[in-house]
Amino acid sequence: MVERKPKIVGFCCERHGMDAVVLSARTGKQYDASVRLVQVPCTGRVDGIHILQALEDGADAVFVLGCLEKNCYYDTGSIEGRKRVGYVKQMLSEVGIEKERIEMFNAASSNAWAFPEAVGKMVEVAKKLGPIGGGERQ
Amino acid sequence: MKAKVQVVLCKCCTEMPTLLDMERLAKVAAESDNVLSVLTVEAVCDGKQLAELVNDVKDKELDRAVVLACHKKDVSPAVLKAYRRAGVNEFMVELVNIREEVVLPHQDEPERAQAKAESKLRAALARARLLAPLEKQSEIMRTRNIVVIGAGVSGQAAAREAVKSGAHAILLEKTGKSLKAPGVILPNSTLVGAEGYGGNFKLKIRAGEKIEVLEAAAVVLATGGGWTQLKGPLAKAVKDAMPLYKLYEQLQAGAVPRGPVVIVDTPDPAGKTLKVQDYAWDDTLETAVELKKRHPDIQIWIVFQEMRAFGLSELAYKEAAEMGIKFIRYDKAGAPKIDPKNPTSIAVKDFSQGELVNIDFGSLVFASIPSNPDNEGIAEALRIPMTAEGGVRRGSIQRWPVTTPKPGVFVCGSALFPKSREIATSEGEAAGAMAGEFVKKGTIEFGGAVAEVEQEKCSACLTCVRTCPYEAPFIGKAGKAEIRIQGCQGCGMCVGICPSKAIELHHYTDEQVMTETRTLLGGDF
Repeated sequence: MVERKPKIVGFCCERHGMDAVVLSARTGKQYDASVRLVQVPCTGRVDGIHILQALEDGADAVFVLGCLEKNCYYDTGSIEGRKRVGYVKQMLSEVGIEKERIEMFNAASSNAWAFPEAVGKMVEVAKKLGPIGGGERQ
Repeated sequence: MKAKVQVVLCKCCTEMPTLLDMERLAKVAAESDNVLSVLTVEAVCDGKQLAELVNDVKDKELDRAVVLACHKKDVSPAVLKAYRRAGVNEFMVELVNIREEVVLPHQDEPERAQAKAESKLRAALARARLLAPLEKQSEIMRTRNIVVIGAGVSGQAAAREAVKSGAHAILLEKTGKSLKAPGVILPNSTLVGAEGYGGNFKLKIRAGEKIEVLEAAAVVLATGGGWTQLKGPLAKAVKDAMPLYKLYEQLQAGAVPRGPVVIVDTPDPAGKTLKVQDYAWDDTLETAVELKKRHPDIQIWIVFQEMRAFGLSELAYKEAAEMGIKFIRYDKAGAPKIDPKNPTSIAVKDFSQGELVNIDFGSLVFASIPSNPDNEGIAEALRIPMTAEGGVRRGSIQRWPVTTPKPGVFVCGSALFPKSREIATSEGEAAGAMAGEFVKKGTIEFGGAVAEVEQEKCSACLTCVRTCPYEAPFIGKAGKAEIRIQGCQGCGMCVGICPSKAIELHHYTDEQVMTETRTLLGGDF
């Protein structure tokens, strides 16, 4: 049986988040190819509907990568992003979906390890939990 | 109108073809809807190749482009300039970072990388079809005034640097001291209110008894520390305790302080607010050495929790130690105490020896500077954030160490947190130069990828007004929220949080973000 490839969506802020992604690539870090990066100007821009729609469209796990909370480019953006993720987590647990499927990460632009680590964690979660609803939706 | 897309595949310094099949990518692009032209170039950042793109766009009258290359920040200035020359709006160009997002991190899996690249190309095309042209606007700065609040060491340094770029420096000094600095010094004046945005501020200034309105392009905060405010149990117990600068002034005036002298880092050593910073340690050491040189018979003790005497201050530390100045380090458990009934003796537990030391002193000096109580009013007027310790908060320590989150407002010196004279001067110079550069441009540019409120949907709940760190949204005359585009930085925080979904961020609309996600999820890799 061919192992199912997980589908992971990463909303990534254009500032420190994207810088961390680029730096991790330039330092030769390798990570799972199943991550789909979507750029947003700031993690505060990520709406609950974006995450939920991504899950509906077939993502197994969604993560949000933003600046460090004390050093956000847009001052309070990544704090807003974290609040948003927490809100969606609560929503998911109410409808009976594992809230581990979504997570927020922070990275400074110099943290080359942050992005591969986030991808690794989310791939683990996606492999452990499998597709939403036990694969019936496929 | 139907979108006419040009797809550019950059070989990106020959890194892309080593992993990906460029022909397959080009085929995918050519087979997609709306794509009229597919070009494969050696390096998109090369001038000749860019000319090729421009000609192609002009020939086929294309209106948007998808460029698969490397990091946006590296290629975008040249590429966007070229497309502007070809008559393509800069917001209609979609740059995809294939090199750092696909090629470099997936070296071992060429098949998956190829599928991922194709999927990314499709997603970019889907997003490109939804892009809309946006125009940036500009406004001329009405004045070239730079208002420096505080005419202390950092304020004077800021004014010196600011006038170098042709700006007029206006210094507001709280006291009536006669000072020397380039520009106009307004004595006995403070800032009481402010309107407008970076580039065109209208400041309300109390000068003496009158309140005047002053136009300014930029503001530099150099309020300094709260020199006269010593708070804490040690300052309470000893009535004639003084801050370091008073000791320095006494020395300069030729007065002899009562010995022995004890210099403690802070008047509140056991307090929660104690934050060990690089404040004034070089000044402390220099003053102590100077005192010892002038009056060798006075005993000096320096009591501290953590000393940061870096750089050349190491030498001052060495000199001080050799001269016989005694250093006592304590930790929070053995913080120095003074019995209010006997205010000439201090008890402190030496951290390295573990012994309780009682020192009888003649004068008590504090090395730290409390934050300025004026900061609060000024921050309120300019609407900028503050730290928990009462200082002004800067934007980002790496990117803008002397800039507040609000464009056009700069901050330096002890207004941030207590620090020594030298560092305050260099920070003042930096802030002055930044403000000068800001004013030199003469115009402010705004607009483009900014938020906009759909008035019918707005329920005037004030959520956006509270959330925005830049004070861009406000409730307009119609009783609905509006965005002041001069203030909008395009982060989209208000968009994500709006409960009525009344706000839209151009260039990152819900539809664009969700379409990109959906297309990416459609790919199998």
